Amino acid sequence: MVGGFSILLWVGAFLCWIAYGIQYSSDKSASLNNVYLGSVLVLVVILTGVFAYYQEAKSTNIMSSFNNMIPQQAVVIRDSEKKTIPAEQLVVGDIVEVKGGDQIPADVRVLSSQGCRVDNSSLTGESEPQPRSSEFTHENPLETKNICFYSTTCLEGTVTGMVINTGDRTIIGHIASLASGVGNEKTPIAIEIEHFVHIVAGVAVSIGILFFIIAVSLKYRVLDSVIFLIGIIVANVPEGLLGTVTVTLSLTAKRMAKKNCLVKNLEAVETLGSTSIICSDKTGTLTQNRMTVAHLWFDNQIFVADTSEDHSNQVFDQSSSTWASLSKIITLCNRAEFKPGQENVPIMKKAVIGDASEAALLKFSEVILGDVMEIRKRNRKVVEIPFNSTNKFQLSIHETDDPHDKRFLMVMKGAPERILEKCSTIMINGEEHPLDESTAKTFHTAYMELGGLGERVLGFCHLYLPADEFPETYSFDIDAMNFPTSNLCFVGLLSMIDPPRSTVPDAVTKCRSAGIKVIMVTGDHPITAKAIAKSVGIISANSETVEDIAHRLNIPVEQVNQRDAKATVVTGMELNDMSLEQLDEILANYQEIVFARTSPQQKLIIVEGCQRQDAVVAVTGDGVNDSPALKKADIGIAMGIAGSDAAKNAADMVLLDDNFASIVTGVEEGRLIFDNLKKTIAYTLTKNIAELCPFLIYIIAGLPLPIGTITILFIDLGTDIIPSIALAYEKAESDIMNRKPRHKKKDRLVNKQLAVYSYLHIGLMQALGAFLVYFTVYAQEGFLPHTLINLRVEWENDNVNDLEDHYGQEWTRYQREYLEWTGYTAFFVGILVQQIADLIIRKTRRNSIFQQGLFRNKVIWVGIASQIIIGLILSYGLGSVTALSFTMLRAQYWFVAVPHAILIWVYDEVRKLFIRLYPGSWWDKNMYY
Amino acid sequence: MVIQKEKKSCGQVVEEWKEFVWNPRTHQFMGRTGTSWAFILLFYLVFYGFLTAMFSLTMWVMLQTVSDHTPKYQDRLATPGLMIRPKTENLDVIVNVSDTESWDQHVQKLNKFLDPYNDSIQAQKNDVCRPGRYYEQPDNGVLNYPKRACQFNRTQLGNCSGIGDPTHYGYSTGQPCVFIKMNRVINFYAGANQSMNVTCVGKKPHHHKNKGKLIPEDGRDEDAENLGHFVMFPANGNIDLMYFPYYGKKFHVNYTQPLVAVKFLNVTPNVEVNVECRINAANIATDDERDKFAGRVAFKLRINKT
Repeated sequence: MVGGFSILLWVGAFLCWIAYGIQYSSDKSASLNNVYLGSVLVLVVILTGVFAYYQEAKSTNIMSSFNNMIPQQAVVIRDSEKKTIPAEQLVVGDIVEVKGGDQIPADVRVLSSQGCRVDNSSLTGESEPQPRSSEFTHENPLETKNICFYSTTCLEGTVTGMVINTGDRTIIGHIASLASGVGNEKTPIAIEIEHFVHIVAGVAVSIGILFFIIAVSLKYRVLDSVIFLIGIIVANVPEGLLGTVTVTLSLTAKRMAKKNCLVKNLEAVETLGSTSIICSDKTGTLTQNRMTVAHLWFDNQIFVADTSEDHSNQVFDQSSSTWASLSKIITLCNRAEFKPGQENVPIMKKAVIGDASEAALLKFSEVILGDVMEIRKRNRKVVEIPFNSTNKFQLSIHETDDPHDKRFLMVMKGAPERILEKCSTIMINGEEHPLDESTAKTFHTAYMELGGLGERVLGFCHLYLPADEFPETYSFDIDAMNFPTSNLCFVGLLSMIDPPRSTVPDAVTKCRSAGIKVIMVTGDHPITAKAIAKSVGIISANSETVEDIAHRLNIPVEQVNQRDAKATVVTGMELNDMSLEQLDEILANYQEIVFARTSPQQKLIIVEGCQRQDAVVAVTGDGVNDSPALKKADIGIAMGIAGSDAAKNAADMVLLDDNFASIVTGVEEGRLIFDNLKKTIAYTLTKNIAELCPFLIYIIAGLPLPIGTITILFIDLGTDIIPSIALAYEKAESDIMNRKPRHKKKDRLVNKQLAVYSYLHIGLMQALGAFLVYFTVYAQEGFLPHTLINLRVEWENDNVNDLEDHYGQEWTRYQREYLEWTGYTAFFVGILVQQIADLIIRKTRRNSIFQQGLFRNKVIWVGIASQIIIGLILSYGLGSVTALSFTMLRAQYWFVAVPHAILIWVYDEVRKLFIRLYPGSWWDKNMYY
Repeated sequence: MVIQKEKKSCGQVVEEWKEFVWNPRTHQFMGRTGTSWAFILLFYLVFYGFLTAMFSLTMWVMLQTVSDHTPKYQDRLATPGLMIRPKTENLDVIVNVSDTESWDQHVQKLNKFLDPYNDSIQAQKNDVCRPGRYYEQPDNGVLNYPKRACQFNRTQLGNCSGIGDPTHYGYSTGQPCVFIKMNRVINFYAGANQSMNVTCVGKKPHHHKNKGKLIPEDGRDEDAENLGHFVMFPANGNIDLMYFPYYGKKFHVNYTQPLVAVKFLNVTPNVEVNVECRINAANIATDDERDKFAGRVAFKLRINKT
């Protein structure tokens, strides 16, 4: 990031030393000024470098703390003894024991297991817990049941296994090396800064060489010409800017961290702002990552349940006695329980032991009915058959809470079609009706409808066992099934979904108006994916896929005009068969795209496809397998809660709350920082001309030098630093979320307009204002402007101690030198005063300052105050330190440049006025930067 | 990963440049069409015209604050400096007695310098003033009334006047005259109403290098010995108060700067002698650390004889 400028400064420093060397060889008493200057330049380079490194390191540190939180331990059997050792000391052949809750310490082949289930989601994207046993089921190591993978988690049960791979040779290790193999390309802001450095360095070098040639041809000594060259370089290079940019970025990074976006790589702050495509995960990012009851069907009617984060607002009709029965089944036919010790946690946030759907049902009933555990206690469970994948239902038999009713209640839930098979009656309005064709049909319609919403549907039925056949003492036997499991009474359906986060639809709308395409990439089922996409607005309400159109018009899919469809759902299978061109076509032609059933490897293909469209792509991910895509993306966003360490390592940013909406605030900040950097750079570049002109005039017209190199450094690294940082606090001028993302190649940070306006308009005005102060000081001391022309040689001659001024007075060399320093100070103050005006006008690029509010950004005023205070200290506090060439300046000279400062402000207001009045006009094109 | 940066061939670059300079398709010269160039040139003409006008205006306003006759501030000139004539490149007077050319240029310069001091010119232009007191000429209500100057006749310089002098101010005999003059400062009342004079000594100049290392007071100072005897004109190196104050070149037109001539009689030949002359006046400090010429002047003298 520092490259270009530091080379220029190094050149300047070496030229300084060479110049001193030449001077010293001809005159032993040559002044050490050039040595000091050279050292200062080198110091600037080094400090800037160290500073940037420090800033980077600080933000990187946040990340490394993640990794080192818990050193992983493994229980290993060595020498027939159980030992706990750090996981990295494992070797192939070790026998390890893992129990529920532990991380798998290496790739392990299962020797024996007890009810072991592992969470492979970070590796394969499967969200369901996977059972593990010693049996070999598949050739593919990723599919077979007898291998547990490094860094996945054992959810329950215990497993004993043999280590077959460790470290980099594990499956995860392969993926991680794949991730590091993906070239990390330059961030957009790094490219922009490089581009800007090229411009400025180009200007510096060409002006420097041009004037070197002019100076030599004007018969200046080569040594003097070299010194001019140094002055020109120093004047042109904005020494403080790179540091400022770093600070600005880290300020924004801090602000983003407060909004739950932790930025690892400072430059990524801006990348987020230029994002044009977001490839987002579904689970956890767009959704709440917990199953929730969304719909109910009973009494031939579909009811909608509240799926918002707190479930507070359940409005469906609860008066029907069918609901009473249904709620009883939901409550009783459920093995899930709340973990103890969470009395004060809101119901929806309580942790649950049990699988996702049971937890959803538990919370649902807890919210509506109150204390579920109490109800279960009153309806003592006699016997139960847990859910399994072969019978696809769950059953339990309870005593009732009515002391007069001695019957047992059998409740059952399961896959709706299986439940319906077992029923002969259906409950409507609390009464049992025989299940006939028409009721079966309404059931099917409801089932299809709920399924079409991408929801997981469960059917519920019950049966009161007749008291005569099943007396209180009856002993139920699960294996013998000595109780009826058919001719039950169907009660209702319940459907569940992982509902979208409530903030997401809004955030997606914001993205859309900000011109950002949101693409959903999920491993989930297409129907579910599409339903969620629709509900969050990734597929907007009025757009249809090809299949939708076909369905609406009742024609085959092939006959639909592809152009009519705005949205599309692409599955991983289809993606597999596609050529890159076809993928490009899909990405270019459809506004709303959902990728479903995709594998992590396909995610990488999708990201690359997007990048081929010249888009800046943000990718969210949490699994280890996402890390190549995260690395490949222009900005990888890892999930802070659900994300694996590998994902966090590969990402540029971590979302602390896993919430998609946080990305949008990040985008907003990123765009703001781009605008504000533009302002900072414009502000910084402006004074370059005012610092450069003195040298040019000095060479051409032979005036006593208006400003010294050291003085320039005091502006660049002193008075201007805090103000340019202050611009980072500027509020956006208009709704920045209502414009298109910037085009990577067209909307540059530093464009021609910015350079021209800063250099040739404001910069020139500033130079004139500063010269006015300079001339004033000289004139009022006796050297009127015309006497100064071509005075340089005599002025600088140490042996001329009676130089005559306009009034006939004679000056010694030292008296002149002191006046020259006063001139430096005057020029410095002239620039300083006008930089205040410059700072104020840079607050906005289009709006009037008065629209923006002069006082809304308080930091700007801190900047102005710092400028003035530093100026005062330099002039009055250090006025006696001659090495710095500052003198005490008369108070009135501070106000000489004020008219020019006001002119700058007025001129810029006029510029902005015309830009607002005539958008798209010649003026707008040439004057808006 | 495909690296997407395609290298441009040299021909392409030239082609692109050609198109940039003149694009026949869009009729663009250097990226702009004719009308666009006309617009932009017109704009800068007007804009820079306006800036020039603005700058001229502010400069004009500023110059209104400056009087044509007296400077607004004189804070830098509290202590007038001293200088020597003949004026040489490195403040050194080197005379090769046998080599006429080596000192002829000094003589020419001195002749020219002393021309306005000729008695005839002085008598014609300047007043005879009363010595020993300032020649004050208040405006008395008439703004910028022209001021008269006092006579300083060349003959006052005695043996150094160079009038009818076959030795050319002593340069041909190795007894050169060096003239000391004090810098003009407007409205400066030198001497604070007490008499003042110039004195010279042979003395090594204080370099930065032996700062703090005091030259022993009683120690043998080579330069003082090598310098030998000298005489001063007017006597004792006196400068009379009547030449002050100076009113500025605008209306103190014929002002004649008082001089002190020093004639070195027996400088040790073939060595470089450092000479320092300073003015002894009540209101002129001569010990400024930084300004080596405040109220004093140091120069080198070398007489080469074979």
